[in-house]
Amino acid sequence: MTDTSSRGRGIVKFVFWALVATTVIVFTVRSYTSGQMAEWFYHRASLNGYAVNADTLKGASKDKPAILLISTGDTVSGLQAVRVQKGQRLPRNSNGVIADDVVTKGKRAVLTDATLRVMVPWEMKESKGFKFKDSFKHKGIVTWPWVGVWNMIVVALLGLSLGLMAEGFTDMLGLKLEKIRHHVKS
Amino acid sequence: MFDFAIAGVSAPISLLVFVGFTVGIVGGFIGVGGGYMVTPALIVFGFPGYMASGIDMTHIAGKGLVSTMRHRQLGNIDWTLALTMIAGTMLGVELGVRVLVYFKQLGLAGIVLLLTSVVVMFSLFLYTQIETRRSHRQMQELNKAGRDPGRELQTSSLPRLFQSIPLRPIVRCRTARVVVSMWVIVLVGVVTGFLAGFLGVGGGFIRVPALVYLVGASTHIAVGTDLVEIVFSGGYGALRHSIEGHVDMMAVLFMLSGALFGAQFGSIATSYVRGPAIRYILSYSLILATFGAVMRLAYVLTGQKVEWLSFFAVMLTLGEMTFLCLFILSLVWFARRHKRGEWVPDWVKPLVIS
Repeated sequence: MTDTSSRGRGIVKFVFWALVATTVIVFTVRSYTSGQMAEWFYHRASLNGYAVNADTLKGASKDKPAILLISTGDTVSGLQAVRVQKGQRLPRNSNGVIADDVVTKGKRAVLTDATLRVMVPWEMKESKGFKFKDSFKHKGIVTWPWVGVWNMIVVALLGLSLGLMAEGFTDMLGLKLEKIRHHVKS
Repeated sequence: MFDFAIAGVSAPISLLVFVGFTVGIVGGFIGVGGGYMVTPALIVFGFPGYMASGIDMTHIAGKGLVSTMRHRQLGNIDWTLALTMIAGTMLGVELGVRVLVYFKQLGLAGIVLLLTSVVVMFSLFLYTQIETRRSHRQMQELNKAGRDPGRELQTSSLPRLFQSIPLRPIVRCRTARVVVSMWVIVLVGVVTGFLAGFLGVGGGFIRVPALVYLVGASTHIAVGTDLVEIVFSGGYGALRHSIEGHVDMMAVLFMLSGALFGAQFGSIATSYVRGPAIRYILSYSLILATFGAVMRLAYVLTGQKVEWLSFFAVMLTLGEMTFLCLFILSLVWFARRHKRGEWVPDWVKPLVIS
């Protein structure tokens, strides 16, 4: 094979796999920014409680609790909480469930009339020797199981296309990578 | 800054790309996933611990694939070795996770994990460092005598011992040029998989020395073959984490965009060096990770009150990535100078391909 045809094949390989990688990236970003991926992640309730948007509770404290209005409907907007039962689809825009037993204990959140007062929105936890703030986010939720397969397909396609794109790039530049002949001296 | 809707944090994109890039270089060069460096970094950026592990594992699967493809092109993968080891690795990981669950029930997981990490990593560092220094010296002598030291030289007598075990079936690994009992490969997979599952890591830093010192593969083959294992084990871990909802794909995308370049560079950089150079980097990464684990162990043992220990452990882990990258970059730079006949330090000459 001549050097020119090798470079030509490199260009085709690079362009084709760059297009595949771009398509996968654009598709993933659109699924993410449209909120589709969040809906897959915050899919169902794993326990009885109140579905909330935990991001709105960040500034809450004992002195200045976040007061959530208990409402019904399929969307949580701002400082709202929607009653959910185990297995029920989570309302849109919610990303965590404050469990009934947390409310019963009354240390982190209490129920008063038609409102839920959240006083301790996060607690310190530890992972692999490092501390982090663990909030109500991602608590009491079940992710749609097929999201695992979807993620794997995206990562595999991305890894494959980026790898082949890079191979095409070096071929295009005429950088010859020769196979190493392995022999262990001892 | 980017708002990660699923993880619920705001983190700088540039830092995620930088972490992906640096770990890509190190991972592609020494054949590790780099979980012990990435997870703490993500926690420092504000990601919750479970998300940090999930994002890390998913990015490792993608990055492993990119590195594997480049190592395949360089002929650094022995597929017989890789595929024989996978079953043992998976069995070992499952056993390791079960033992970890047992220790968690006893309430000892944190201390036992850190203590085991320290012992395993320090022992591997000591053995790798001593053996590599011996190989380095022999290569220097060969160099002085005007003889070609070859791509690989290792002085451990363990491979001969393991290759002489006459248990059938005997496997012929053509690319690695190793003939060894299948049970030795499976056992290496089980033991390294067990440690990986127990410590909650990909296990590359255990598997690469095991492939070199027990199976007798060259360091380059060990790196490439281990990356195949990482693609499979990382892929499985990513699937499990995704089902649990521990993965924010945007964070994975940013890290992969950095890892694309890093992993390419790290993988190609192996073609500029001889085996002992890779083993040096591996051993330095082990001792730096050991220091980090010692700090965290001290922090846990002092009742998590001495905050600077935790802070220092994080800084050490982040500094480690930069240091290892600079080391790899300088080796490639020296290799290019050496090829052009320009001056390089004497200790570098036997480590790089001229």
